[in-house]
Amino acid sequence: MSIYLRNIIRFALLILIQVLLLNRIPLNWWAPPYIAFVYPLFILLLPISTSTNFLMVFAFFTGLTMDAFMNTGGIHAMACVAMAISRKRVLAFLLPQRLSEYQNATPGPKIMSWGSFLTYAAILMLLHNLIYTLIEVWTLQSFWYFVVKTGITFLTSMLFVVIYLLLFTKSVNRKTFD
Amino acid sequence: MRKFLLLIRRFWTLILFITLEVISIYFIAKSRSTQGIDVINSANATVAYFYQKEQNIVSYFNLKRVNTELLNENTALRNQLFYRQSVDTFKTVSAKIPVFDYSKIDRNQDSNILAQPVTMTIAENPPLKVVRYAEYEFIPARVINNSISNDRINFITINQGSEAGIKPGMSVVSSVGIVGRVEHVSKHFATIASVLSNRKVSARLKLHEAYGQITWVPGHPDFVQMDDIAITLPIKLRDSVLTTGFASFPANIPVGTVSRIDTVKSNNTLSLQIRLATNFRTLAFVYVVVDGMEAEKEKLEKKNQSAR
Repeated sequence: MSIYLRNIIRFALLILIQVLLLNRIPLNWWAPPYIAFVYPLFILLLPISTSTNFLMVFAFFTGLTMDAFMNTGGIHAMACVAMAISRKRVLAFLLPQRLSEYQNATPGPKIMSWGSFLTYAAILMLLHNLIYTLIEVWTLQSFWYFVVKTGITFLTSMLFVVIYLLLFTKSVNRKTFD
Repeated sequence: MRKFLLLIRRFWTLILFITLEVISIYFIAKSRSTQGIDVINSANATVAYFYQKEQNIVSYFNLKRVNTELLNENTALRNQLFYRQSVDTFKTVSAKIPVFDYSKIDRNQDSNILAQPVTMTIAENPPLKVVRYAEYEFIPARVINNSISNDRINFITINQGSEAGIKPGMSVVSSVGIVGRVEHVSKHFATIASVLSNRKVSARLKLHEAYGQITWVPGHPDFVQMDDIAITLPIKLRDSVLTTGFASFPANIPVGTVSRIDTVKSNNTLSLQIRLATNFRTLAFVYVVVDGMEAEKEKLEKKNQSAR
């Protein structure tokens, strides 16, 4: 499967999971109702060699699609673009080789090991959730509400990200487990 | 100029980032204000199409719950309706009767024939008298087994039994017409002998006040027959037939419509074929009618029989 087709399918799949499943189940496990986000994974899983400009444009339109489904104006687009611009730095920090050496490789547990991939995902998801919650809540009147909401959104989002990866990654890093 | 272009090229990523963020902020500001959400919202054709498709599929999952809710609501409305229908109220009213005062009658003048004006006064606080001649309550039930093909008697099984207060002999109606009468009751289930049986139901024509009995002719689950109708009545096709309220069925429940009129030459009467209002092939929900006054009525009528 070509890398374009794979990314297009992943985009559709993630948007569908987000819209049809996760948006339908507002969780209120510990706190105010919130929604876990899994679709930013699309931006996380774009090929490593994608230039930041393209990444931002893709992220913008991904976010805009979510905004259309969730009636949130441009909040998702904003958070996604912020994710996209910081992706390269985080990757460069975590990967051992220069980024240009990974041709068409997708960041994932396959080439990064679970530990560093989860760090990478956690940093960017936290950024996304921070921006999203900040604009959604809009006021910092009750600071703890904001912190708690961001925290649990982040934790459950990471949970769903891991579940998605376990479900849809072909072979889960055989090298590490050998 | 060249330097400017170089500058743009150098900071191109940053410029793009800022542009995109500004666009996002613009969208946010626009959608959060009261002036319309134009493009980016779920009323957008594509997005709405997706939601529509999703709803088409997902709505089936809720169908059972929605049905139950509607059934309960219908029962409540039906109970209210029949509560109001079977009640008459009146107040005591006193009226003054005009009296002729013959001593004052002037033959030449017509004007002062009446000595007293006609007045009608309502007493100060007239006691409101209530006449209640029926008391019906409906119990909703779901049909779990249904037969229409038997020749002598057809049974319907419902998912409510003695625990819900159902007793043998109660009548059963659907939302559009009559269904039958409860035959056997267990704790959680009950069987109904439907109208498609050799049980008789009294009925009347809506327009002509002609009473008769309905019998089922085996063979077709859509039609029943009503015999011995006076030949003088100008009955037309599609006249409504309703229940009488004499037996356990509440009054004015639709039975069906006249679908064929036959003249019986031997005794000069009409025999009507009636298309049932209830479709027994697709019957799904029924209401069991609890008649609160039936016991009293039966007790009284038993005295008649013993006197005979």
